[in-house]
Amino acid sequence: MGEMEELRKEMENLKDQITAARKTFQDSTLQEAAAGVTVVGRVQLKTRKTLRGHLAKIYAMHWGTDSTLCVSASQDGKLIVWDTITTNKVNAIPLKSSWVMTCAYAPSGNLVACGGLDNMCSIYNLKGKDGNVKVMRELAAHTGYLSCCRFLSDTEIITSSGDCTCVLWDIETGTQKTVFAGHQGDAMSLGVSPDFKFFISGACDFTAKLWDIREAECRQTFGGHESDINAIGFFPNGNAVITGSDDATCKLYDLRADQELLTYQDSSIMCGVTSLAPSKSGRLLLAGHDDFNVNIWDMLKAERVGVLAGHDNRVSCIGVSTDGMACCTGSWDSFLKIWN
Amino acid sequence: MKGDTPVNSTMMSVGQARKLVEQLKIEASFCRIKVSKAAADLMAYCDAHSCDDPLISPVPISENPYREKKFFCALL
Repeated sequence: MGEMEELRKEMENLKDQITAARKTFQDSTLQEAAAGVTVVGRVQLKTRKTLRGHLAKIYAMHWGTDSTLCVSASQDGKLIVWDTITTNKVNAIPLKSSWVMTCAYAPSGNLVACGGLDNMCSIYNLKGKDGNVKVMRELAAHTGYLSCCRFLSDTEIITSSGDCTCVLWDIETGTQKTVFAGHQGDAMSLGVSPDFKFFISGACDFTAKLWDIREAECRQTFGGHESDINAIGFFPNGNAVITGSDDATCKLYDLRADQELLTYQDSSIMCGVTSLAPSKSGRLLLAGHDDFNVNIWDMLKAERVGVLAGHDNRVSCIGVSTDGMACCTGSWDSFLKIWN
Repeated sequence: MKGDTPVNSTMMSVGQARKLVEQLKIEASFCRIKVSKAAADLMAYCDAHSCDDPLISPVPISENPYREKKFFCALL
């Protein structure tokens, strides 16, 4: 037998091993465990604010950790930092490339980042001495579009790319510290664990991967989706991962049990999931779809408990503020809405 | 596990195949816990934090930072 044949056999054996091992730990299901739990009451959120100012589709938004400011990115070529309470624009940053697909707010509040079809992640300093917001660093090395980015601190950021890799960057030197390779399709989205030790990525190979940032390795891979994973996020305690896919479903995977616990789906929902965010307790899952709506799920019971209908085009991004007080949605209709 | 075999697996190099096998070994050796324990922990977390979750247990409108603020002017 040639080496390739042997390796293929070994691959199949290992995959069967993993499937069998997962089954032996499946002594129950979340459905069974939560059978006695009452479904959360109907969730009816109102639009409290509409943030107007972008002139084209909004592709991404991210809350600052102060739960008041947020940053949004639009293909009108601007990053806007908003005070969500007053609806004032704190900063309106013109971008070199208008083909932006992602943006992020640093936990410190000092920096924002964005990137897209320029294959770069551009870092902007919001607190420059002369008050002007300037490009601080351009992180260039990806050979595909930048789909997502998230700061670990003011000195490190993680990016995911259409080149199938994720990268940990040193912002000061502008260099790649670690390249996380393994996905066999465009990496579309990433999320950082609450303790900043791990990150998860969702990709067009239909899988989600958990990566150990410092050990620089992929620890776990989760399958089951039948199409691209567009959105991913951690459950608030960091022990589970939620994914949203073009297959119109969301899935909950437990990290310690190393398997899928629930699928959030409904025959009436036929449009892909573009974005997702858990509520502060993790009990609610908010998922944005191509059909202009946001579905709200009881995460334990997998029942739909609400809908946010208010946008006139695809909901492209969603986020719940750190204090859990509000949910922000961004849309191709060029508006952001704050709901609670 | 659907989707994690390269679509063009016939084009995979021996080097790539070796890396995939090494990765699968790492994932196979993962120390798992029972789903019953994982589920119980998730439920306990939700239970402990639901009252602090403003989207589930709404705060009174007076404490909602996004409430409509009405300004009163007094004519002197």
